[in-house]
Amino acid sequence: MMLREQCGSNFYNIKIIKHQIKGDQKMITQNSQSSQSSQSYKNRDEPQKHQIINLDYQSSKPVDERVIQHMIPYFNQIYGNPSSLHTIGDKAEDAMAKAREQIAHFLSVLPEEIYFTSGATESINLALIGYAIRNRRKGNHIIMSEVEHISQHNLAKYLEKNGFVVSKVPVDQYGKIRIDKLRKRITEKTILISVQYANNEIGTIQPIKEVGEIAAEMGIAFHSDAVAAQGQITLNPKQHHINLMSISSNDFYGPKGIGVLYLQKGYRVSPLLIGGGQEKGIRSGTENVAGIVGMAYATKLLEEHQAEEVERYKSFQKKLQNEILDSVPHSYLNGHPKERLPNNSHFRFDGIEGESILLMFKEHNIAVSTGSACSSKTLEPSHTLISTGLLHEEAHGSLEFTTGRFTKEDHISKAVELTPKIVERLRAISPLYSKTKVI
Amino acid sequence: MKSTKYSEKVLEHFRNPQNVGTLSGENVALGRVGNPTCGDIMEMYIKVEDNIIKDIKFQTFGCGSAVATSSMTTLMVKGMTLDEALKVTRKDVAEELDGLPPIKMHCSNLAADALHEAIKNYKAGILVEQPESIEKPIENKSILGELEYLGKGVYYSITNKDYFKDQRVLIRYNGDESIRAALELTKITNRVIISTSSTKIHTDDKELKTQLRNSNVKILTEAKILAVMGDDEVEKVRMLDLDEDSEYDIFVDRLVLLNTVSIPPVCENV
Repeated sequence: MMLREQCGSNFYNIKIIKHQIKGDQKMITQNSQSSQSSQSYKNRDEPQKHQIINLDYQSSKPVDERVIQHMIPYFNQIYGNPSSLHTIGDKAEDAMAKAREQIAHFLSVLPEEIYFTSGATESINLALIGYAIRNRRKGNHIIMSEVEHISQHNLAKYLEKNGFVVSKVPVDQYGKIRIDKLRKRITEKTILISVQYANNEIGTIQPIKEVGEIAAEMGIAFHSDAVAAQGQITLNPKQHHINLMSISSNDFYGPKGIGVLYLQKGYRVSPLLIGGGQEKGIRSGTENVAGIVGMAYATKLLEEHQAEEVERYKSFQKKLQNEILDSVPHSYLNGHPKERLPNNSHFRFDGIEGESILLMFKEHNIAVSTGSACSSKTLEPSHTLISTGLLHEEAHGSLEFTTGRFTKEDHISKAVELTPKIVERLRAISPLYSKTKVI
Repeated sequence: MKSTKYSEKVLEHFRNPQNVGTLSGENVALGRVGNPTCGDIMEMYIKVEDNIIKDIKFQTFGCGSAVATSSMTTLMVKGMTLDEALKVTRKDVAEELDGLPPIKMHCSNLAADALHEAIKNYKAGILVEQPESIEKPIENKSILGELEYLGKGVYYSITNKDYFKDQRVLIRYNGDESIRAALELTKITNRVIISTSSTKIHTDDKELKTQLRNSNVKILTEAKILAVMGDDEVEKVRMLDLDEDSEYDIFVDRLVLLNTVSIPPVCENV
């Protein structure tokens, strides 16, 4: 029974988030009482009182307090059901329409192409299962890359059980999809190609434009998971021939539990949730108005700050990569050296194991992530790292830093200072390091 | 339960592991369990006098519980007779540490196993200070899909270097010539793996040994190449981990098999 439960939960986990999130929750209640929204943007601290330095923004982000302030009236003042015909309902409907327009503006798409969901997982499910079922008359073949988020690999298994054929396209040693191999996998029965905007683990930016052009040329629908890329690079699905795109609110400092599927006009999906016909029948269920408003406001903040934030992330990235690769012998960068998300620095070190690295950082109140098997629920190393050609033992020795809105220069300095010490300490007790070359 | 929800005792041993290191000299035996593929490796050295464990040291590659169980085991058995130490089980070690997360019980509580292995080796007279037997495996067993992909990622020589530029290359160890080929390939690509089904790569040529050690060639031991896979050309190889008896894949673009004798040498691009 125990084993079965574990297996069940494996499907939804790629990494385990090791740091304490309790602090974040506490700060939400604190900050909603005090109004600090006038505080200047640059002086904001990550709202945590007992300083845990978060260098694992990829796993989770705090909700920006300005977003929280903006959401509060929608819990008890403008609380209506948008479907209701009276004024209370109208107010909620207006708020939702405005939010939809804002998000459409952010993505340079039409408001009617925005569908609200409960988050990226649901958006991706709707895109893959919904599209496959609705269009099965045209064919039963779907193509995705080897380095998609684990949720897509599990969806592939589900689709295969239900009569679809899924082909996976390999990537090069930097995690970039092989365009030549993608072309070769297309058949007459291919109905959908799904390739992420950028990789969530190693940060490699995918050649989305080329994939989109191939899909458009062959008349195949193209879905992109933009969760890792959002907030880092400007998303523009129309420019890249993306017909379906999944994004989540929390990944740009909005609330959890809300996301969007962009579905280009003229493309159809079958609903996965059947009910009262909300979201044009594509996604039934009373709308999460507060979440929708919060997500929209988060995109607004991002429109104002993205350029400045990205510059900051780039300087952090430069410091992390230059100094760690310099100070640690036998250390390597995973992912693409240049074409990568500015907030992502992903390393590997010979002879040591990632969970131990993570625990050492935890001792110093720094939250980091790893692709090691020992830290995953499946005890399997990261499929992304393996897809780039790494051996299991190399994938075990990986360390990922992702920076975010509240990362400070001194957080980076601390990580840069600690990393060589932690690596050295673990190597001193490792039987593998001195024998990295077994000869 | 999260896999890192460790007891305070486990964390204490992780922070300050006891008896880390190696032992040498007379009456020293070594027990080694696990392998890098499964995620944990433990080495336990024991020095025995009058049937008693006089000294014990360990080295561990692995997660928090792997380090803590190794450390605890050394404390528990130092001073015990060999027979007493043989009775110490994984469960005893876990209990001494106030328990381990269930998922970590089977994978990383290998310290007791490493200890037992060391004791068995000692009793069998297999000591650390003994010349190791020299093995020169010549591997030329055919691989599933080898002929199908010949010239499409599988090569019997590296005469045409263009095929290997910036590619991920796996080369099967087959004597000095394969080591030289691996070193040569590092000049045109940064990813070269040499694999052997033995526990080490063997060469009598000291200079070659040094060169290999200083190169960025990745060495993969106890690994047998089972099959080549891909759509039209090589995309990955299926490997067998001989120690764990489990299969896994490596994503590579080229597979080099030198001195293939079971099939007559064939030119590239056949």
